Amino acid sequence: MTSSATPAPFTVGWFAGWGVPDWSGPWAGDAVQSWVDGTFTVETVRDLERAGVDLVVMEDLNYLSDVVGGTFEQELRTTARAPKHDPVVLMSRLAAETERIGLIATASTTFWPPVELARTYATLDHLTGGRVGWNVVTSTGDRAAQNFGLDALPGHATRYATAAEYLEVVHALWRDGSVEHHGEHLEVSGRTGTRTPAAGRPVVCQAGASAAGTALAGRFADVVVSYPPGVEAMREFRDQVRAAAEAAGRDPDDVQVLYLVTPHLGETEELAAEAAARYYDPTDAAVRRRLVQMSGDVDFSAFDLDAPLPDDVSTEGSRSILDNLRRVAAGRTLREFIGSQRSEAVRLVGTAASVADQMEDVLAQVGGDGFLLFGGGGGVLTRRYVRELCDGLMPELRRRGLAGVPGDDRPGATLRDRLRDRRREGVLR
Amino acid sequence: MSMFHLGWFTNFSNPPWNHAWAGTEGRDWPRGRAHVEFVQALERACFDYVMLEDSSMVSDAYEGSTRADLAHGLYAPKHDPVVLAPLLAAATSRIGIIATASTSFYPPYLLARRFATLDHVSHGRAGWNVVTSSEDRAAQNHGLDGLPPHDERYERAEEFVDLVEKLWESWEPDAQVLDRDRGVYVDHTKVHTLDFRGKFHASRGPLNLQRPPQGRPVLCQAGGSPRGRDLAARHADTVLAMAAGPEQMKEFRDDVRARAVAAGRDPDAVKVMFVTSPVLADTVEEARARADAARTPDPLKIEVALAHMSAVTEIDFSTLDLDAPLGDLQTNGHRTTLAQFLKHGRTAREAAIGWLTGNAHYVGTPETVAEAMGEDMAAVGGDGYLITGNIGRRFVSGITDGLVPALQRRGLTRTEYAHETFRDNLLEF
Repeated sequence: MTSSATPAPFTVGWFAGWGVPDWSGPWAGDAVQSWVDGTFTVETVRDLERAGVDLVVMEDLNYLSDVVGGTFEQELRTTARAPKHDPVVLMSRLAAETERIGLIATASTTFWPPVELARTYATLDHLTGGRVGWNVVTSTGDRAAQNFGLDALPGHATRYATAAEYLEVVHALWRDGSVEHHGEHLEVSGRTGTRTPAAGRPVVCQAGASAAGTALAGRFADVVVSYPPGVEAMREFRDQVRAAAEAAGRDPDDVQVLYLVTPHLGETEELAAEAAARYYDPTDAAVRRRLVQMSGDVDFSAFDLDAPLPDDVSTEGSRSILDNLRRVAAGRTLREFIGSQRSEAVRLVGTAASVADQMEDVLAQVGGDGFLLFGGGGGVLTRRYVRELCDGLMPELRRRGLAGVPGDDRPGATLRDRLRDRRREGVLR
Repeated sequence: MSMFHLGWFTNFSNPPWNHAWAGTEGRDWPRGRAHVEFVQALERACFDYVMLEDSSMVSDAYEGSTRADLAHGLYAPKHDPVVLAPLLAAATSRIGIIATASTSFYPPYLLARRFATLDHVSHGRAGWNVVTSSEDRAAQNHGLDGLPPHDERYERAEEFVDLVEKLWESWEPDAQVLDRDRGVYVDHTKVHTLDFRGKFHASRGPLNLQRPPQGRPVLCQAGGSPRGRDLAARHADTVLAMAAGPEQMKEFRDDVRARAVAAGRDPDAVKVMFVTSPVLADTVEEARARADAARTPDPLKIEVALAHMSAVTEIDFSTLDLDAPLGDLQTNGHRTTLAQFLKHGRTAREAAIGWLTGNAHYVGTPETVAEAMGEDMAAVGGDGYLITGNIGRRFVSGITDGLVPALQRRGLTRTEYAHETFRDNLLEF
């Protein structure tokens, strides 16, 4: 697709976990208290809805890690991934305090019994009036497995094969209220006692970017969370997902690939550049925090920071993270790239107008489908940043007809309707 | 006369949909609004808690078909109470909210994390009703052939509860230090692994979220068998009891208290709550007429009772001669419920009607019922009543706007909450 005279609207989502925001910085406000009972997140999501953001993805993690250095110290100091509350619990409150925005919560196919999950999300679909989605993860980290009584996480291939069966089971339960499944990894036969979900079936979101993850997304996902580094990798990844959807007999337009970005905004380009410089500054604290975020089963802090990543490291956890890392590092030392490397597809820096230009341009090159705004993970997010996006960037995108258009004034529309509307507008234009 | 506690025993399923005061809730209840209004009414009346029971199956024990279960809306539809609880918490500020989750199906870590999160969102008002589940149909939904035998279920439950309590305690109360100067959010030396390896369950721990505001959420237990009572005596803060008349009530309570003492606990820390469903009207005669009408043995009511009993015992009551002696019936399911049922009559017909109306211990005007409840409670020694019955607005209002003010005028129930957290209120008297 090339850039056309009339811009194609895209999907804008928000990606965050129910964890600790920036609690000690100059703009921390009362976040140190208000995140704990969910109020911080509720306010954030209300802001996002007002601004015309289509959906929220609440990521999750099931364990407190001591992979870095063998203790919980770094994890609890940086709060990059912990503490973290169960996002499923916040959903009904978010639903009650909003009217239109899609609400997607993470749950793991490795640890949650399928019938319970099907019931919980069907219940949520009713409570939200068809606005709920399930972010399907297979979990990473042996530490997560050990919390659930296993010695180690099942292998990558097994987890994804189980996840595929799991999704079949859950879909059958949503569709028919009953299932008779005898698979290689799952045995489930029975019925749920919930009414068929309001939206038919909750939206399915998927985030694993390995080959198995892409195949799973092709079969089942409505929305894919991703951050392939750079425009070329973004296009390549989207093509893979669309090919996987076609291979699974689906219309590839039914799968939206959304890219994580953390725009840095300012009244002028210079001010934006300063904000970005602070965010990407590879300070000791930034390196430490990044190491924590990266350490699934591999203790990255154990490696020489001034040497390239060794070739013989592999993981049964998140393969795509490790592969991406090698690609981005491109032979540089850990210290050289780690401090400024973030979970995002492209860097977006500038005034609202120039960031909107960049977003439009990137999507024109990539082909679609939209972005997931990401406030940087645990220990970083501030209300001030949320407001910059909601009151600075989003109005600019809306003025251009790129985001938050129709659908918005349609309370009662399901998340699936909203995603479909967005696609249709894109096609019509 | 000392004060006693009030709770309400219900679930997240359809309110009555086909009687004179059903409103439109037969259709609308999955959105949760009826339940929100209901719990707000209970909070106005200063109830200690609402308890949401649960089961996860559609029963076909009666006639070998799901017809009766679904036609009468008995065990299904039933939505996930854990998801409703946060919505109820957000709409209230003092009442305790107890959700049911089964030790036979939930992974312990997932449950511990979910209820800890719930305790945070409710500011220390969460409770967990510990059940072991009682139906093979539920087990089959979770990939098992059937439930473990009754006593083994309780053995598993004991270990499950031990583990969950340890997970809740894996963060010391003062682990969160918020040291801005040193940049330490949580002191990692106060967060501990468990390395729990039991006969049935294992978990490494710790939880990846802060200690719940109550330390541990309130535990509720409802099984009346000796194993159930032992579990309650060791762990529960409140126990649901089925008993007819002050003599049975006292016997039950004395027994639970003795078991608590034997388990090394203060018996006053276990609140025994007696299930009852008062029949109220403007005059005593009118109330009696209503209670009598409820006892008319029409075939629909008998089917409802027998299908209900079939669901929890998995005995097909449709095959029994309605007027023949019931004989000796055995179940691996709800033993206490079956025993209660059998006490109500010699034949299936008698027992069905007796059981359906068996909770109508108090029949009269708000004043006469309040008087009688106070006298019985004085004879028993405590600790309170768990109101049950349909949650149609008219019935609820009869209790919260009629009976409770009459109880309050007598100084029998509280007129305001003294504390912020659920357990503190429960232990106030």
